[in-house]
Amino acid sequence: MSDLLRSIGVRFLDFLSALGRASLLWYRAMAGLPRWGDVALVVKQIYNVGFMSLIIIVLSAFSIGAVLSLQFYTQLARFGAQDATGVGLALVLLRELGPVVTALLFAGRAGSALTAEIGLMKTTEQLSIMEMMGVDPLRRIIAPRIWAGLISLPLLTAIFSMVAVYGGVVVAVNWLGADPGGFWSGMQDGVELWEDLGKGMVKSLVFALLVTWVAVFQGYDAPPTAEGMSMATTQTVVISSVLVLATDFLLTLVFYGDF
Amino acid sequence: MRMRTIEISVGGFVLAGVIGLVFLAVQVSGVGELGERTSYTIQARFDDVAGLRERARVSMAGVTVGRVRGIDVDMQWGDAIVTLEIMGEPGNLTIDTGAKILTDGVVGARYVGLLPGSDEETLGPGDEIVETQGALVLENLIGEFLTNIGK
Amino acid sequence: MDNLIEIKNLTFFRGERMIFDNMSLDVPRGKVTAIMGPSGTGKTTLLRIIGGQLKPDDGVVLVNGKDLCQMSHDELQAFRRNLGMLFQSSALFTDLSVFENVAFPMRVHTNLSEELIRDLVLMKLNAVGLRGARDLAPSELSGGMARRVALARAIALDPDLMMYDEPFTGQDPIAMGMLVDLIRQLNGALGITSLLVSHDIHETVSIADQIYIIAEGKVIGAGSPEELRAGSTPMVKQFMHGDRDGPVPFHYPADDLAFDLLGEG
Repeated sequence: MSDLLRSIGVRFLDFLSALGRASLLWYRAMAGLPRWGDVALVVKQIYNVGFMSLIIIVLSAFSIGAVLSLQFYTQLARFGAQDATGVGLALVLLRELGPVVTALLFAGRAGSALTAEIGLMKTTEQLSIMEMMGVDPLRRIIAPRIWAGLISLPLLTAIFSMVAVYGGVVVAVNWLGADPGGFWSGMQDGVELWEDLGKGMVKSLVFALLVTWVAVFQGYDAPPTAEGMSMATTQTVVISSVLVLATDFLLTLVFYGDF
Repeated sequence: MRMRTIEISVGGFVLAGVIGLVFLAVQVSGVGELGERTSYTIQARFDDVAGLRERARVSMAGVTVGRVRGIDVDMQWGDAIVTLEIMGEPGNLTIDTGAKILTDGVVGARYVGLLPGSDEETLGPGDEIVETQGALVLENLIGEFLTNIGK
Repeated sequence: MDNLIEIKNLTFFRGERMIFDNMSLDVPRGKVTAIMGPSGTGKTTLLRIIGGQLKPDDGVVLVNGKDLCQMSHDELQAFRRNLGMLFQSSALFTDLSVFENVAFPMRVHTNLSEELIRDLVLMKLNAVGLRGARDLAPSELSGGMARRVALARAIALDPDLMMYDEPFTGQDPIAMGMLVDLIRQLNGALGITSLLVSHDIHETVSIADQIYIIAEGKVIGAGSPEELRAGSTPMVKQFMHGDRDGPVPFHYPADDLAFDLLGEG
């Protein structure tokens, strides 16, 4: 029994110290505003994390939009309410699925790659030699990647939702024969700029912060061994996915829970 | 050369993201469809507006002519005051226009339907529609139906 | 005597294990100083302490008479800008080409024009015999070539102090001769102070002006190569001649073998 308590205690302390190290990493990388010279570095990272994630985002968005639309339409048609397909689709996408699914895909595609890249740079002493050259690796390597994540994920989310709506239109209007006027006007009646799109984007920004932070920290903190690296990459996907889902629940309560 | 490809790709990516946002704002949220054109507001009293939401459609003969802008309750009379934003210049609705709360399909969203009148005079900004019919509440209908059967 | 770096009474622990025990040594300006010793005596650790990456538990490291630990962030960065470091692993930036690797210090620390950077990089690469490899990626280089690119990168800004961590291991004989010449040349022509960590006795002896031999956290022998070869103490003699048996232990500290084998049974 005391062994169990002790191991829980040790784990909790481990967790606290990791949280402390992660916060320090964040602070030291992001303290001070980015300088103009860093823009090129950020652009290069947006290419790596954002642009390179486009294909998976677009493909997933189209099929998710199509499936949602199919389900909404066939179920709502039983009550003669198929005109509500558009609004249902748009609300679900803007409020929940857009930000969440994009963040999960982003964690799998870009987050794990970030962890592996930074971990490898550390293992091969690239970060260390940089420090010896009088260049701060946190500002040079870590900060641009965090900025790139913060910029890329909301943009990816917007692209995701747009493509998913398009996928929904293809299925509902072009294939199932829903009335396009009812589809769009129902959508525009029910969707509000700040309440739905705005809050969804805020969610996406919070997820971007979480996923890139976890990814960068896991890479920076990984033990410099093959085992440590593969562990860190897995951890990035697992931890950031759980964090995204848990945070989404909290944010939904705060944003839409009426109490 | 390679850096240039990266810059162009990132530029395209950011542009796509911004287009996505604009699309979602304009086409999905329907922002800006009313703002550009002139409009004025009138009011209507209903005995029951159950299920009506702000931004709901105001339509005449099935065509959208405006939006619900506000729903308030008048405690004194115990009825609801609905503010309607009507597109166009004042004077396009006659003073005996009727308003009715309708439903899209059986379970669809509530909206306000306007019934054209025949008077010479027209409604100005801030005027009130007199001829109204509130929402049909299913529970009330069933209740009435049952009492009628009992008679 | 003018010393660029003076280490006084340095004590350093890694976990429970004592790496340096009240050790002192000097790196004279403009000379090649070598630090030798068996593996695991913390030679690399010493270089990291001088580079300011590790903090000593006790004692001081003086750079130009200034305490490294008391330096402000900016002073430390300024010192590091004048420091060239060659790690045992080449530590090339894997996302940059050979050319960009060498250009990296120039790009971050100077405002030189693109043409000037190009000329300088090609000169540095030429010095290590890899001008033709400028467009290769680090992953396309052999270990020895990568080390030479790293050397070109380390000397990119003509540092005042060069630190080499085991520069000779893994080099073929021709490259080795070239490296020895290069280190000597850098020291002679540019007056660069060099600090070399190695256990290749032959090459080290051929270029060093002054050698420190450290073992078990202490300096056990110091002097010019000739003085050391004359070999005063048994430990120095053992190391300089590469004898296996002697006062310097070959084994990592452990219990007696027989005890270990029988005890656990």
